[in-house]
Amino acid sequence: MTRTRSPRTPKKPPSRGLHPWLGWALKLSLVGLVVLAGFAVYLDAIVQEKFSGKRWTIPAKVYARPLELFTGQKLSKEDFLTELDALGYRRESVSNGPGAASVNGNTVDLNTRGFQFYEGLEKPQPVRVRFSGDYVAELSATNGSKLSVVRLEPLMIGGIYPKNLEDRILIKIDQVPPYLLETLVAVEDRDFYSHWGVSPKSIARAVWVNTSGGKMTQGGSTLTQQLVKNFYLTSERSLTRKLTEAMMAMLLELHYDKPEILEAYLNEVFVGQDGQRAVHGFGLASQFFFGQPLSELKLHQVALLVGMVKGPSYYNPRRNPERALERRNLVLDVLQEQGVATAEQVEAAKKMPLGVTTRGKLADSSFPGFIDLVKRQLREDYRDEDLTEEGLRIFTSFDPILQMKAEASVNDTFKRLSGRKGSDDVEAAMVVTNPETGEVQAMIGSRQASFAGFNRALDAVRPIGSLIKPAVYLTALEKPTQYTLTSWLSDESFSVKGADGQVWKPQNYDRRSHGTVFLYQGLAHSYNLSTARLGLAVGVPNVLKTLARLGVTREFPAFPSMLLGAGGMTPIEVATMYQTLANGGFNTPMRGIRSVLTAEGEPLKRYPFQIEQRFDPASIYLIQSAMQRVMREGTGSSVYNVLPKTLTLAGKTGTSNDSRDSWFAGFSQDLLAVVWLGRDDNGKTPFTGATGALQVWTSFMRKADPLPLDMPQPDNVVQAWVDSHTGQGSDANCPGAVQMPYIRGSEPPPGAACGGEGPASGETVMDWVKGWMN
Amino acid sequence: MNKWLIPAVAAVALLSGCSTVQRGSIPVEDSGTAVSNSERISANGGFRKTTVKRPVQAQTQTQAIPQGDTGVVVMVPGGGAVTSAPISTSPITPGPITPGPIDTSPVQSAPINQGSYSMPSTPSGIPSASAGGLSADEQLDGPVLALLTTAQQQQASGDLNGASSSLERAQRVAPREPQVLYRLAQVRMAQGDAAQAEQFARRGLTFANGRPDLQASLWELIAQAREKQGDSSGATLARQKAKVSL
Repeated sequence: MTRTRSPRTPKKPPSRGLHPWLGWALKLSLVGLVVLAGFAVYLDAIVQEKFSGKRWTIPAKVYARPLELFTGQKLSKEDFLTELDALGYRRESVSNGPGAASVNGNTVDLNTRGFQFYEGLEKPQPVRVRFSGDYVAELSATNGSKLSVVRLEPLMIGGIYPKNLEDRILIKIDQVPPYLLETLVAVEDRDFYSHWGVSPKSIARAVWVNTSGGKMTQGGSTLTQQLVKNFYLTSERSLTRKLTEAMMAMLLELHYDKPEILEAYLNEVFVGQDGQRAVHGFGLASQFFFGQPLSELKLHQVALLVGMVKGPSYYNPRRNPERALERRNLVLDVLQEQGVATAEQVEAAKKMPLGVTTRGKLADSSFPGFIDLVKRQLREDYRDEDLTEEGLRIFTSFDPILQMKAEASVNDTFKRLSGRKGSDDVEAAMVVTNPETGEVQAMIGSRQASFAGFNRALDAVRPIGSLIKPAVYLTALEKPTQYTLTSWLSDESFSVKGADGQVWKPQNYDRRSHGTVFLYQGLAHSYNLSTARLGLAVGVPNVLKTLARLGVTREFPAFPSMLLGAGGMTPIEVATMYQTLANGGFNTPMRGIRSVLTAEGEPLKRYPFQIEQRFDPASIYLIQSAMQRVMREGTGSSVYNVLPKTLTLAGKTGTSNDSRDSWFAGFSQDLLAVVWLGRDDNGKTPFTGATGALQVWTSFMRKADPLPLDMPQPDNVVQAWVDSHTGQGSDANCPGAVQMPYIRGSEPPPGAACGGEGPASGETVMDWVKGWMN
Repeated sequence: MNKWLIPAVAAVALLSGCSTVQRGSIPVEDSGTAVSNSERISANGGFRKTTVKRPVQAQTQTQAIPQGDTGVVVMVPGGGAVTSAPISTSPITPGPITPGPIDTSPVQSAPINQGSYSMPSTPSGIPSASAGGLSADEQLDGPVLALLTTAQQQQASGDLNGASSSLERAQRVAPREPQVLYRLAQVRMAQGDAAQAEQFARRGLTFANGRPDLQASLWELIAQAREKQGDSSGATLARQKAKVSL
């Protein structure tokens, strides 16, 4: 620009034939050419720079656990089909091709899609699964040969998005389904393969079609121009912008071939909005609307997606299904007219429903509570940019089926208890883990599980009430010379003066004392007086040490009131604590993430399984036994109104002062759940641990149908027959004799055999023990 | 006039220079598209395929399964199977008792019942015919054996993280199988994490009642792990336990 203004020294006189004004015009046009050329150079740099580098930043994708299939696995056909539906498996009469499944009675044939996992590639393969009851009875290839173990691809449950983000699943042009490219070209840019970026013909046609009031199927922009507009430019509408767009389109065509441009278009195109997240590209659109990978889409789905390009919001098939259907069928007509599809194919495709996934189904649910946990764990290892830009693949232990059951349990229970005054203001949180692996499987941070926001499962620090009691009893049971399950405890009222000078006078929930009770009864019935006495006898600091060994890192002051749960904990902390009780005394740091792969599928990081033995298995065996009695005869006994007696469970209720917090924490062999109910303003609720949280817990266990608790008896534990009234040694055939576990050497001396008669029945409160211990 | 031409010529030259790149060639390797979602195995099975010079009309949907995969192959592990303990486990009752139609394969009374994968009704035991000369690993259930085999191969090729990961997968399938915990402990040792090796061996012991050979191996591993951690008296203690177990 400035150069054109530089002084000039003519070497030759101007040629005579030219008029001065003509010369000026020539000069000016040259100036214009130079300016234009310079601009073109500038645009060209932009075009190449952005197109040849990393074109898009991709947020990290978070995956649920892959469903493992093997013979003998506990899995109901119903749950399996739920998972298949969420993964977008098509139900067909005969399963052919990845992502298809056919159901015949108890047998499901499917073709898995294959997936790159941390441990390696799971290949796509045809699989036959035969169910029997709630188990996989047989797993085989469709040719009949047995398969030992098969993994489905994992459900994608979310991503790590910054605010207002474009999200996409990148696809390659050879991954597109049949008809997609042809349909796109037929609808958006018929001359795509012959033009040079702009198409005067199609502009003219668009003008003619649009002005003559015909069907508005044609826009003036080529696919290349649309790509340029979305990829490089703002949405401003002006003639200069239009000209810039045209120039850039031509430059793009100059450097890159048609398939390359088309592939970029497929990934760039905007197809919808999901809250803050903009859905870009057909890859994500396919998952977003159909819950299926793009490559598996059929003609009618392809037509819908391509039709939506014209107006993603106007033709949104979820919000405006009629418009979307009309548009889809119009696109199908164009395909027939253009000879892309036959009349029969088009006719068949028109009969198909829109086929978009519906809200509330697994495929179209969000799990903000668990994703929040994942994010927090990731932020310890990665920068925000790594998580939102690098396309990392995060593999978690999340179990979508258990999550749906947990959510349903919360909803069902609140519905059932809605008559209770004040229940509307009660919030909820829930943590579900597998005690044998230390993995978090489900999480609810809010009564409305799909609401992102305050995650009570991780952040609500609330007094745990009687949930602390197993720590008190465990501290005692670790001293077998002093305490056994049948040691006598006084449940009489008392008061102590604390170090702070305050007098502490605990009371039982029913405000009565229960005389003298067995140690295990103090826990089973959650008696405050006997528990507090026991805790003071073993020492509050020792109880707090036990709590720390159980995995609670939070520090508490050694006040006597701690013995009854005055200290506050979060649901996930409670889960950590109970995990150690459930897992034979081995503590496991809670894990939500298993591994991280790069965008290319290379292993990046693993979060290994770690355990640490914190207690002798024998004392854990005893405390589990007492916690089983909570369920059989104590404060948790209402579970067996709903659940089968054969299902051995262990747990503990918790209620804080004035019922401000309703807790239940408990476990089976393979499932641990902690439920908290309470108000955010810490007001009173109409629920105790038993009438509130336990109801949710019971509902969940009924749906989840776990395995009965069954800890192997340690070598140093013996079962002894004792009199259920006196606790003295007895004999198997004595009336009122029950079997009790003791750490070897702490059992009472065996009693004399009773003659003839078997144990009398129907007399004692512990009759159930026989049925249970049999 | 000439002076006017100089910048113009320069600009044109520059432009043409830029545009001499052949149509269709890609100047820079495209890293963007490598981030494809093709963990869903695509037709070509590769992640890094970037050239797209094919005629578009020829796009077809083939679903060839890549050969040479890492599918689960059941085979007898070469080494690593240190014990030959029969697989009769601790007296664990089977899971929920649902009379299920597991068919009439030879069934022994000793249940292989590891937590979450108990069999429907009659727990599948070891066919008596195979109880003889086979290694302990081989007597494990299908999925566990397959995963231990995979882990073995990964360990043999130096992929300790992969082996570890496969073993954790096996542990999820059979959380109470002490052989899985034993192998996890071995791999942790190989990874230089003696503390975790000891912990996994100890966890294994809690499930190894009635399997003296395996108990001995676990104690021996604990002894090695303690030595690594500088606890020689603890190691001696563990060695004594190993002898008692046998």
